[in-house]
Amino acid sequence: MSPAKRKVLRVALAGNPNSGKTTLFNALTGAHHKVGNYPGVTVEKREGTRRRDGREYRFIDLPGIYSLTAYSIDEVVARDFLLDEKPDLIVDVLDSTNLERHLYLCLQFQELGIPVVGALNMSDEAEAKGIRIDEKALSTVLGVPLTKTVGSKGAGVDSLLDLIDAVADGKVASDRYVQYGEEIESRLVALERVVAADPAFAARFPARWLAVKLLEKDANAYERLADHAEAARVETLAKDSTVWLEKHYGKDAEIVVSEQRYGYIRGATREAVKIVGKPDFSMTETIDKVIMNPVLALPIFVGVLWATFQTTFLLGEYPMAWLESFFGLLAKGATAVIPDGALRSLIVDGIISGVGGVLSFVPLIVILFFLLSILEDIGYMSRAAFATDKLLHSFGLHGQSIFPMMLGFGCSVPAIMAARTLKSPRDRIVTILVIPFMSCGAKLPVHVLLAAAFFPKHAANMVMLVYAIGVVLALLSAFLLKRTVLRGAPTPFVMELPPYRSPTASGVLWHVWEKTSQYMKKAGTVILAASILIWAITNFPAYDAPPGADETTAARSALEYSAAGRVGKSIEPLFAPLGFDWRIGVATVTGFAAKEVVVSTLGILFSIGTEENEESESLREALRSDPAFNPLVAFVLMLFTLIIPPCFAALATIKAELGWKWVGFAFFFMFSLGWLIGFAVYQLGSLGGLA
Amino acid sequence: MFISDAPNGASFKVLRVLLGREVGKRLADMGFTEGAEGAVVRSGFLHGPLQVRIRGYDILIRRCEAAGIEVEPVGDWTAAEDATRLFGGFGRFGGGRHGGGRHGGGRQGAGRGRGFGRNAGDGAGEGCE
Repeated sequence: MSPAKRKVLRVALAGNPNSGKTTLFNALTGAHHKVGNYPGVTVEKREGTRRRDGREYRFIDLPGIYSLTAYSIDEVVARDFLLDEKPDLIVDVLDSTNLERHLYLCLQFQELGIPVVGALNMSDEAEAKGIRIDEKALSTVLGVPLTKTVGSKGAGVDSLLDLIDAVADGKVASDRYVQYGEEIESRLVALERVVAADPAFAARFPARWLAVKLLEKDANAYERLADHAEAARVETLAKDSTVWLEKHYGKDAEIVVSEQRYGYIRGATREAVKIVGKPDFSMTETIDKVIMNPVLALPIFVGVLWATFQTTFLLGEYPMAWLESFFGLLAKGATAVIPDGALRSLIVDGIISGVGGVLSFVPLIVILFFLLSILEDIGYMSRAAFATDKLLHSFGLHGQSIFPMMLGFGCSVPAIMAARTLKSPRDRIVTILVIPFMSCGAKLPVHVLLAAAFFPKHAANMVMLVYAIGVVLALLSAFLLKRTVLRGAPTPFVMELPPYRSPTASGVLWHVWEKTSQYMKKAGTVILAASILIWAITNFPAYDAPPGADETTAARSALEYSAAGRVGKSIEPLFAPLGFDWRIGVATVTGFAAKEVVVSTLGILFSIGTEENEESESLREALRSDPAFNPLVAFVLMLFTLIIPPCFAALATIKAELGWKWVGFAFFFMFSLGWLIGFAVYQLGSLGGLA
Repeated sequence: MFISDAPNGASFKVLRVLLGREVGKRLADMGFTEGAEGAVVRSGFLHGPLQVRIRGYDILIRRCEAAGIEVEPVGDWTAAEDATRLFGGFGRFGGGRHGGGRHGGGRQGAGRGRGFGRNAGDGAGEGCE
């Protein structure tokens, strides 16, 4: 293509995880972001634009990857994007303090036939560590134009854009690629020639890249070969070359290719990178001596977890109360404005209380995500995985499951989304399926109400016990699932341990905003719909209260008369073996809208009228005095609430992440487990005279 | 010798990766190729993951993967272990290597062969994936 100045440049920002890619992306694009998903997968796709001197740069932030093999879904996404979308240019973000491994990916980008520009990021950190990089010399040796950047400070952004311009306008060349040595090259060139024999195919896939990947026995490359006019011929040649290579080197071809790349990098860095003094790990090493002390790592992790949740609930309490009173006022206002009737009831009792109840959790979500993204940014998550992998692994989970599971204590919705970081689909499914057992913030009011009413002396301990049972069930379920429906070889645990780094404000805030808006979107869609549905089935068919009946009796009769009440009565036999009467059954069913709703339903069904919460002395009194309840039933209800399927929002998230099949499985599994455990505890407790 | 045999603080030079295709390739991608120098920084509680320094950065791998990476010791491994025991203080428990029973051998260096340092359940070299 002629180097005539293109007005719009599509630039893919790629690189290893922990290269500071996203920080540099923020520095390049400012606030002009758009977040979506890559088609068909749950990998997030960020796009941003930058305008300068009459040119528009459209940056696409690719997921952080280590290689262009199809090892993880991130790698598949990055690779498909580069091959199918063919951006004008790739900016490879390289961690200057860890150049060898980061250049390894760079060499693979070069083979794609797309011009590559390298950003030697974190160059300040490298300087401080005594790593002196001669970027001119390194550029010359590797054939990649390079420039130094410090993404966290926005330094070097202009020179990076200059370099992008220079390459795009044809003033600086970026068209070389690694040479694998004479013997391999002769095979590669022959392969390239056969691949290029089908010009339509070669226009889609760079022949050089495909030849190397075929030599590496890459399954995805073989799949793509199916479109080639002479697929069989290419395949035969590729297989012959691989066999020859393996015989010649005495090891797997893909290993030989890796070794050649690292050898090439070694040669290049030997010329252009000088290390002054000893590599300095002192700060990270000093901290890790404590944090990663084999014995202390797990207790420290538990401490960090505890502190995170304490802080979240402590700080979140106030804004939560403000939001609750705001929605209270809104409900009052709506009551005053809208005439009495179904519409008012729908808006006040259905929409405002349903969606408002969920939105009051937003402050908790914001604070929780703020703290967790700080932990993630400083590099604690790999340490947490180190501390917990042994334990989790023995139950069939993965060290990386720990982060989503921790989030589960806050809210299952973001927790299920966070499981995307798990590479193996089986690990991801297991993690998602056990997350609901991590008792979420919305179940807490239910536990607190029941514990305070029936175990006043040990209320806190009872709540703790339920949480602990949840964790044990999560582990045991994972164990069970991994040995039945999700059987398979264990996934390897290969995880980078980045040095500690200070979090950047833009990164943390952006992350918090993303997660919060996802949560709010759920509140606006799924939860809104569920609220309306629950409202409808608890209000229709409408009941005409006989004149003179007091409000409480009328409310109770109305509920009994409604669809929910009728269904509750008809499914009473299902709940009877657990010691639940129909009202408790209905309460658990309404909990699917949001688990806090269990409390308000109990409030309506067990006498008193409105405005019930777990602090309510009268509701506690009412439950205590009702013959349907006793401590055993209360405990069974706590367990049942803990174990049965989560709210609609969480189920909808599971659907979005894993599809209908797994939602169905999760529902069936959790309901059966909850019922069986409830049944066992109630029956044994009754036998033991606890009822 | 394999990385799983290396005590905390021991340096090594990679000879080859004996693991199945996917993990083997991944470890090669991450820098475990012939001649690469590295060291075991520490090991997790009760046979937990190992922190390994390779090509100037740190990586966590399970013992099972470590048992599939053949290495050549650099320097005196026995001395390295003693050094970590001095500053770590918990090496005795943390390494999980001193009980002997599972490994079928003492830890004084001599006679540690291919099979050592593996969990019974880890299976053969290909068994990690």
